[in-house]
Amino acid sequence: MGRRRAFDEDEVVRAAVELFGGRSYDGVSIDDLVNHLGVHRNSLYKTFGSKRGLYLVALRRHLADDVRPLAETLAAATDAATALRLVTSADLGLLLLAAAERAPADEEVATEVTTALATVDQAIADALGIPIDLAAALTATALGLRLRGDPGGAGAALTRRLDPLD
Amino acid sequence: MALVSIDGDDLVVVIEGLDKLWALKSSLTIPLANVRGATADPGIAADPKGIRAPGAHLPGVITAGTFHLDGEKVFWDVKNPSKAVVIELADERYTRLVLQVDDPRSTVALIEKALR
Repeated sequence: MGRRRAFDEDEVVRAAVELFGGRSYDGVSIDDLVNHLGVHRNSLYKTFGSKRGLYLVALRRHLADDVRPLAETLAAATDAATALRLVTSADLGLLLLAAAERAPADEEVATEVTTALATVDQAIADALGIPIDLAAALTATALGLRLRGDPGGAGAALTRRLDPLD
Repeated sequence: MALVSIDGDDLVVVIEGLDKLWALKSSLTIPLANVRGATADPGIAADPKGIRAPGAHLPGVITAGTFHLDGEKVFWDVKNPSKAVVIELADERYTRLVLQVDDPRSTVALIEKALR
């Protein structure tokens, strides 16, 4: 029997969400994880199996803690502009990085990302009473605005044109 | 250096050249069901290794053989830490393998793909 884990797994996973959400997967080394998460290297391997193992746990936590609540908030959106603003202002760093970087190379990540985005699409479709493909286009636009780095300005310009959706 | 390959449902590690002498092992065959994951980890060479039994450890030159640390048994075969890969195991004699491979990125990809 190995020694008992001397760390709070919940805190470690949350810290991993922050780390993986701010940097590329390849840009996060095990040394980075050991230093930022305050976990011994051996404990990290023992608990999560590998860097990818920890990444998947962190991604699922991000989807549960950040993306699912967004979908719940979106249910109260009464117009397209509000839905757009909610998505562009949500903490979606890890989801965006996962979609751009890991999903093309890792089908398990791709499945998680696709499911999460479908949840957001559905929430928008339900809230605004619009077809799911139109809701998906709105989600894609919001995520695109996030990637542009100027969501406020571009988003405001777009929302003035979104009235016909309501 | 180690050659890592997948043979059916097994992960096969072949220790090359003189390393097999230091490591006192020429190969390891592990069912993929007992492989939890693989990670490229250059930093691991700087960590404490524990007690060597049996094997060779000349700091900065070679770490090869079986090391015991915190109740875990770890197999090492590393001369160049920048090419170190960690393979975590379950229900095996070794808790993990720390191996020097020619291409850590492709070795990790090979193992991860076999596990999915």
